[in-house]
Amino acid sequence: MTEVFVNMGQISAFKTQGILTTVGLGSCVGVTLYDDLAKVGVMGHIFLPRSRERDAGAPPGKYADTGIPAMIDEAVRLGAQRSRLKAKMAGGANLFPNLNANSTSIGTQNIEAVTEHLKKHGIAIIGKDVAGDYGRKMRFFVDTGVVTVTAIGKEAVKI
Amino acid sequence: MNDAKLDFLKELANIGTGHATTALSQMLSGRLFQLVVPDAQMLPFDQAADYVGGLEQVIVGIFVVVSGDVRGHMAFLLPVDSALVLVRLLTEDDSGEINELARSALQELGNIMITSYLNALAKMTTLLMAPSVPGVAVDMAGAVWQSILAGAEVTDEVTVIRTEFFADGEAIEGHILFLPDDDDFKQIARMLGLEEV
Repeated sequence: MTEVFVNMGQISAFKTQGILTTVGLGSCVGVTLYDDLAKVGVMGHIFLPRSRERDAGAPPGKYADTGIPAMIDEAVRLGAQRSRLKAKMAGGANLFPNLNANSTSIGTQNIEAVTEHLKKHGIAIIGKDVAGDYGRKMRFFVDTGVVTVTAIGKEAVKI
Repeated sequence: MNDAKLDFLKELANIGTGHATTALSQMLSGRLFQLVVPDAQMLPFDQAADYVGGLEQVIVGIFVVVSGDVRGHMAFLLPVDSALVLVRLLTEDDSGEINELARSALQELGNIMITSYLNALAKMTTLLMAPSVPGVAVDMAGAVWQSILAGAEVTDEVTVIRTEFFADGEAIEGHILFLPDDDDFKQIARMLGLEEV
C-alpha cells in the first residue's frame, strides 16, 4: 500500500486505501478525518494553534484554525460526506516541561485549538492519544480507518 | 540570502561554538574538539522539518530560550551514543542509559556550553543575551526538532546557524544551533557595523 509522509503544516488524503504517516510529532498535533462509508481519509499535521497576519502565505494546514476547515474541504472534495466525518488526534506533547512551567505549553494549546475547531464544525473525536512529554509517530490506514500511535519505549496504541 | 550575511552568520557560529567547546573541553579534562565549518541558512518553513535528518532516530536535545536584547532559541543536539559517552566522562556512570543523573549532567553541560556561546556573542556586541534554564529531551529527532521550531514560533522562514563538532579520540559528535529572532538578528548586524547585510 502506498505510504505518504505528512510533514509539518501539510494536509494529505487518500480514498479507498493508502497509509498516511507523520513522524516525530512533538508539540504538533496529527489529526485524521475519516468517512468510513466513502473510505476517505485526510491527515493534517498542525504546527501551531492560531494563524497570524505576519504569516499570511502559510499553508492552511500549519495552524489549527485554518487547518481543520481545509481538511474538511479536502475530505468533501474526495467524496466524503461532512456529517459522516469522525476525527482522531495524537501528539500535543511537551518535550521540555521545565521551560513551560508557568505557561500553557504549545502542545496543550494545539490540543485545545484542534478540539475547539473540530467541535465548531460538529465533528466528533472518536480516538486520541495526546499530551505527555514524549514524541509520537502516527499512521493512518485509510482502508480501515485504524490509526496507530507509537513512541520510543512505549507499547503501540491503536486509536 | 547574500554572501556577506551568510559569512557573518558563520563567523558568529564559529566564535560561539569555539567558546562552547572550550568550556566542554575544560569539563572533560582537556579533551580537544574539532569544529566543522559552520552552516548558516535561511530555511523556508516547508524545508525546516527535514533539516535534521533521521527523524525517527533517538537523540538528546537540550533547548533554551534566549531573552534580553537579542531573543531567540538555542539547541544542542547530539546522538544518544555521544550523549552516553559524555555522561560516562562526566559522571563515571557507564550504565548505558539516560537516567535522572545523566539527564541532569546533560542539562548542566548544555547550560555551560550555551552560556559560553552566548557570552562570547554578548561580549562582541555588548548586547544582553540571557539563556533560560535548559530543557532536556531524549526522543525521536523529528519530535525534538519540531518542538524546537514550534517553541520558536517559526513563520515563513527560519534562520538556523549550525556548527557541528566532534572530539578527538572519543566518539562524541553534536550540533549547536542558534535560531535568532529575525528583528534581533538585524540588531546584532548593526552593532557590528554590518548595517546593510
